[in-house]
Amino acid sequence: MKKYLLTISLLIAGIANAQTSIPGDEFENIEDEVIEWRRDIHEHPELSNREFKTAEKIAGHLKSLGIETQTGVAKTGVVGILKGENPGKTVALRADIDALPVTEANDLPFKSEVTTEFLGSKTGVMHACGHDTHTAILMGVAEILSKHKDKINGTVKFIFQPAEEGPPPGEEGGASLMIKEGVLKNPDVDAIFGLHINAATPVGTIKYKPEGTMAAVERFVINVKGKQAHGSAPWSGVDPILISAKIIDALQTIVSRNAELTESASVITVGKITSGVRFNIIPESAEMIGTVRTLDPESKKLILKRMRELVPAIAEAYGGQATIEIQNNTAITFNDPELTEKMLPTLKKVAGEENVKLMKATTGGEDFSFFQEEVPGLYFFLGGMPVNGEPTRHHTPDFFIDESGLLLGVKTMTQLTLDYLNN
Amino acid sequence: MNIKKILFLGAVLFISGLISAQATLKEEIKEIEPKVIEWRRDFHQHPELGNREFETAEKIASHLESLGIKVQKGVAKTGVVGVLEGNRPGKVVGLRADIDGLPVKERTDVPFKSEATGEFRGEEVPVMHACGHDTHIAILMGVAEILSKNNDFPGTVKFIFQPAEEGAPPGEEGGAKLMVKENVLKNPDVDAIFGLHISADQDINTIAYKPEGIMAASQSFEIKIKGKQSHGSTPWTGVDPIMAAVKIIDGLQTIISRESKLTEEAAVLSIGKIESGVRSNIIPEEAMIIGTLRTLNVDMQKMINRRMKEMVPALAAVYRAEAEIEIAEGYPITYNDPQLTAQMLPTFEKVAGKENVRLIKAITGAEDFSFFAREVPGLYFFLGGKTPGVENPAPHHTPDFFIDERGLLLGVETMTQLTLDYLNQS
Repeated sequence: MKKYLLTISLLIAGIANAQTSIPGDEFENIEDEVIEWRRDIHEHPELSNREFKTAEKIAGHLKSLGIETQTGVAKTGVVGILKGENPGKTVALRADIDALPVTEANDLPFKSEVTTEFLGSKTGVMHACGHDTHTAILMGVAEILSKHKDKINGTVKFIFQPAEEGPPPGEEGGASLMIKEGVLKNPDVDAIFGLHINAATPVGTIKYKPEGTMAAVERFVINVKGKQAHGSAPWSGVDPILISAKIIDALQTIVSRNAELTESASVITVGKITSGVRFNIIPESAEMIGTVRTLDPESKKLILKRMRELVPAIAEAYGGQATIEIQNNTAITFNDPELTEKMLPTLKKVAGEENVKLMKATTGGEDFSFFQEEVPGLYFFLGGMPVNGEPTRHHTPDFFIDESGLLLGVKTMTQLTLDYLNN
Repeated sequence: MNIKKILFLGAVLFISGLISAQATLKEEIKEIEPKVIEWRRDFHQHPELGNREFETAEKIASHLESLGIKVQKGVAKTGVVGVLEGNRPGKVVGLRADIDGLPVKERTDVPFKSEATGEFRGEEVPVMHACGHDTHIAILMGVAEILSKNNDFPGTVKFIFQPAEEGAPPGEEGGAKLMVKENVLKNPDVDAIFGLHISADQDINTIAYKPEGIMAASQSFEIKIKGKQSHGSTPWTGVDPIMAAVKIIDGLQTIISRESKLTEEAAVLSIGKIESGVRSNIIPEEAMIIGTLRTLNVDMQKMINRRMKEMVPALAAVYRAEAEIEIAEGYPITYNDPQLTAQMLPTFEKVAGKENVRLIKAITGAEDFSFFAREVPGLYFFLGGKTPGVENPAPHHTPDFFIDERGLLLGVETMTQLTLDYLNQS
């Protein structure tokens, strides 16, 4: 009987342990600081692979907390390693830190006035996708967790990642370079969490989806070769513009006829077509570039295969030739179903059950996906729209985030870490 | 002598007179052949671009003046018109030669190769008579010389030396259209007009012709499609103008293949350029298409123009976009008046020999002689300029374009005889 009682009491203690948490006022106390960091980073945005000062600030902060800090990871990335007092698994928390070549139009005291040269032309620089908030949130999480090493069973890796928006042409960068440089190794990461602030989701809300959440992004280039002829004598040539028309048309049928749309959505877009010089010459060649978005590994495989089959075959049917090159930009942001299910109670506990919403997939891409190809990961959206406000669009000059949404980000990332490690 | 004998003798004398007149003219033409070739070489070596044929015009004008022909200069900018009256009243014939060179760098190694340059669209470019207009000028100067010395014909001959057949520089008027506007066919009013084109692809001493549409009407068109820009990952938030462009390109072909009566005449519709978008992941706001339409029959041209204007906005609307099309007036059909062609065919056969006159199929290239032939009955034909036996001669408008000068003589003979036969038959 005693034995049973002991077992029961141990069990209860275990449950209590699973509910490891941090007093709420600690979060409230740090909110002003998080907002201040965010404003500072917002006012001083830096483009991908050029996040020099941003990285310095992050590294300075981590060091001041006594966290083991690596700088210059994947060029301008910063990685902090915080070891808990008890052994256990390793969790990675990721924040992307780069800004965009967008000129800010908001009227804020900490509005960005930064300008730079990008691809040969002068442009403003702005945190128009909210990575400033990701950076500040993760700095806040680091500060909280560094004061509660006793509550951590295992290790926390803080990954401040550069160049999520894509490195400058000819450079490597972003999540894939971090992986290449071993950021998920030594200690080996068991699970990774990431979030994205959202300017169209009200403050206080969390959105998530198991499996494909954001799309795999491929960029493709199609080159069509015909045979040049005078516009008055098409029979003496092969018209690459007509072939291009047939190809563009047929590519749409891959989505509408071949892809199993009940399983997941997919999109093929030709974004640019260029051919010819003047009205009365049938050109020799045509070029098209475009993008493919897929949300499921099987449909991605099928779609890319069909594209590679269709493009040259259609060109041949019209007497020409065509090649297609497909280049991968991001993988599917795929939330491990088991991990998602396991962490859902945490999301609900922190945000309140009614504020956690199952969402549909989006066809945007995110390079967090490369981490998820390596280890189980969970990526979710955090509300950043004023509760009774208007949504703004990411990547635009008017992009706006309500700072009162940041606190939930700090709380959620902290609790996900504790709950994962302690269960 | 009885009346029968007198009549018989008269008839014999008349016929032999005709024959000897014929023989004399042929000899005279043969005699000036070296001169014609010399003029041609001079023009070839000193080509000038459209609306800039200043020295060319000087040479033509002073030649005509030296023959006592009444000369107007500066017609349609750099054109020259000569009016030669026969010794008795009659109809008026126009003879046309185009006089401009092209922005092409000559690559032949003839001794009179062009080293000339000119200004084209703000740049200094090499200039060459790469379409043989130099031969047209020399031939017509020869015809003027022959006819001015043999003015025993009824009526009047108008020698029209036309600038800028290849098109005027951007923003300028020019060519046959401007000549018509400046009333070159009036006062005296032209009853019929003849023109020729040397051909690098046709044996010397041959003539090629076709009644009705011989060269095409050429119209350029421009289509602007307006969609709604969106991210490439969310096509449902925008309207894809490239998709609409694709459907339009596809649809336009069916106007030719499904709606044009191709047994009547050929027609061609080509898209020469398409431009839309900046990068892979943005669905653009707009797309632009330009192209050319070639037709050989006025009714078909009207029908196709009408269908293009109907189809383009309708197809765009089907795909939720908007589109507008502008079709330029362009060059009309080079239309050989069937009656005039039938009337003058015996002249061709007489001059070139029946076996050397060929009925050809229409060509989808265009020619601004069409503006004259639209106003008055006209006859436009091709004159051989290729050395027999040569395979794959260089096409017109290319650096290796070459004309066998021996072909010019037939040009002088044909234009002279067309003039005399037309005026004498009227």
